[in-house]
Amino acid sequence: MSALAHRIVEESTAAGFAGPAGARRRAAAAALGSVGLPTSRDENWKYASLRPLERQNFTPAPRGVTITAAVLPAPITGFARYVFVDGHFAPALSAAPGAGFAALAAAETPPAAAAAVGGDARFALLNAAFAQDGAQLKLGRGENARAEVVFVAASEAAVGASYPRLEIELAEGAQLELIERHLGAGEVAAFVNSALTVQLDRGAQLRHTRLQDLPARALSFDTLSAELHDGSAYRLLGVATGAQSARSTLLARLAGEGAGIDMALAALGEAAQVQDAYARIEHVARNTRTEQLFRGIAADRARVAFNGKVVVDAGAAGTDSRQSLRGLLAGSQAEIDVRPQLEIYTDDVRCSHGATAGKLDDAMLFYLLSRGLEPATAQRLLKWAFLADAFARIEIPDLRRQIEARLAGALHDGALKELL
Amino acid sequence: MENMKNPDTALLRIENLHAKVAGKEILNGLSLTVERGEVHAIMGPNGSGKSTLASVLAGRPGYEVTQGRVSFEGRDLLSLPPEERARAGLFLGFQYPVEIPGVNNVYLLKAALNAQRKTRGLPEVDAFEFLTLVREKMKLMRMEDSFLSRGVNEGFSGGEKKRNEILQMLVLEPQLAILDETDSGLDIDALKIVAAGVNSLRSPERACVLVTHYQRLLDYIVPDQVHVLIRGRIVKSGDKSLALELERRGYDWVAGAAA
Repeated sequence: MSALAHRIVEESTAAGFAGPAGARRRAAAAALGSVGLPTSRDENWKYASLRPLERQNFTPAPRGVTITAAVLPAPITGFARYVFVDGHFAPALSAAPGAGFAALAAAETPPAAAAAVGGDARFALLNAAFAQDGAQLKLGRGENARAEVVFVAASEAAVGASYPRLEIELAEGAQLELIERHLGAGEVAAFVNSALTVQLDRGAQLRHTRLQDLPARALSFDTLSAELHDGSAYRLLGVATGAQSARSTLLARLAGEGAGIDMALAALGEAAQVQDAYARIEHVARNTRTEQLFRGIAADRARVAFNGKVVVDAGAAGTDSRQSLRGLLAGSQAEIDVRPQLEIYTDDVRCSHGATAGKLDDAMLFYLLSRGLEPATAQRLLKWAFLADAFARIEIPDLRRQIEARLAGALHDGALKELL
Repeated sequence: MENMKNPDTALLRIENLHAKVAGKEILNGLSLTVERGEVHAIMGPNGSGKSTLASVLAGRPGYEVTQGRVSFEGRDLLSLPPEERARAGLFLGFQYPVEIPGVNNVYLLKAALNAQRKTRGLPEVDAFEFLTLVREKMKLMRMEDSFLSRGVNEGFSGGEKKRNEILQMLVLEPQLAILDETDSGLDIDALKIVAAGVNSLRSPERACVLVTHYQRLLDYIVPDQVHVLIRGRIVKSGDKSLALELERRGYDWVAGAAA
């Protein structure tokens, strides 16, 4: 066992979680102890910033840190909001639990399922070993709900880590519209390790928007594991703008016939930021669909990476998979790596992928300049245009406005904001 | 007559312009003076430097001026970056308008107009007035309302792209429009629409330089002067009858005389 893994087991034991939940936590820590956390030498872990883990304090941040409502974004009409601060449920800032929502207390988490994961999901084990409260959204047959879960990182990493946890279970035909946010209370150098699980029963539908907008010195890891059954549909839009280094691991199994996942991810890196995402989608059942779109922009010295792996099992005849991955280099020292990967074990498939990495188009730039636009404005307009594909599908007007304003801000342009 | 003009009144004055593209000299001592209110046509065979001239004037990167000077309203044009040339009132109608998916046509128009207004110390255009203006110009160009919400030139036909160039020109109302083969690829109806657009902007204050291969455009936009450009310099100038003669006798006739 590495020194790091050993320390994780020790810190987990020291946290002293009691009862069966405590036993599960220790099991998760022990499992992690045996596989260890990834290092930059591991496949799929080349970009994320892993070195800081060696001196990371994994003990959860204390309960009771208060934040003001001003930290939170404007509410989205029609969505019940639930707020967690450093992984602890904050009822005073949240809607009353109901409509499928429950805040799971420390004793009830983590669920047994967490022990089953390994490999690229090792950070989910870390979450299982330390998570405090978890958010659960569980809808019965044919129910539907709209919810917004806001995870606020408020403590410095030196004080304690934040372990957001979200479990989604939709029974047959249930429909959930979910907004998931990760942000900071001020410019804290937080350590955030999130875990999400998604279970979609037959015909269930999940529309999920994830916005990672953590403070500029935060270190973030998140692991999303989804299991889709017959005819279920999962639509995911992810926008990553924050953190010093953020690594997103998305693992989906299309286990039921006709299940489909449609994911669009956008990542913006500037200064010395790292935005790293890995998505592994496994087609297990027949006639399953993947639609995957990635748009990443790396400015300054930022590194933006996306690795999209699609695996088509032998039993997954009739699979339809499309990947469109594009990276834009907007700085001479920036780095972009977009990689589609296909592993196919059956003949009856339709798979297409396109991956490009390039700079802003000089001809487009000159065209805009020739109309009198400032070079900075022209560049930002082209960057926005580059991302537009990913945002074409946002159907909630309040949310669209917020994302557009945030991105126009991230692209530092008041003029663009006005145009939007 | 040329010599009697006061240099300070010229809108555009090009003197002994030499320019290289990819190390090759394309413009080779070109001189041209355009006064306010005039329409000039520049004609010439393929490769004579017509589009290079348009690009150099608009400030397209990759064009190196090695000699000569260009003044626009008395200012040194070549020292200005492209966006400042545009804001000073110079407009280039592209031979091949660029498609920019994701940048909305109407956003670009508004951003361009506001950039100009800012330079002139005017407040940003009121949204309602702006749309009223754009719709009026679109009507003239026979463009449907849906053009506004589409990406810049995205999926436009050749003719639609050219009409969009003229629409931008009409909204921006430049002092000097340089239209680089705006007539190429247009059918006769589209040509008439484009010509009507250009003519609607003619005024004693503004000028226009038409770069074209064919005399046909000049049936609809009647030029004050016609110049023949061969091997990077103007070898012959005349009135509109020169265009007709070129049509009849070909460029070899002038090239032979110039050699």
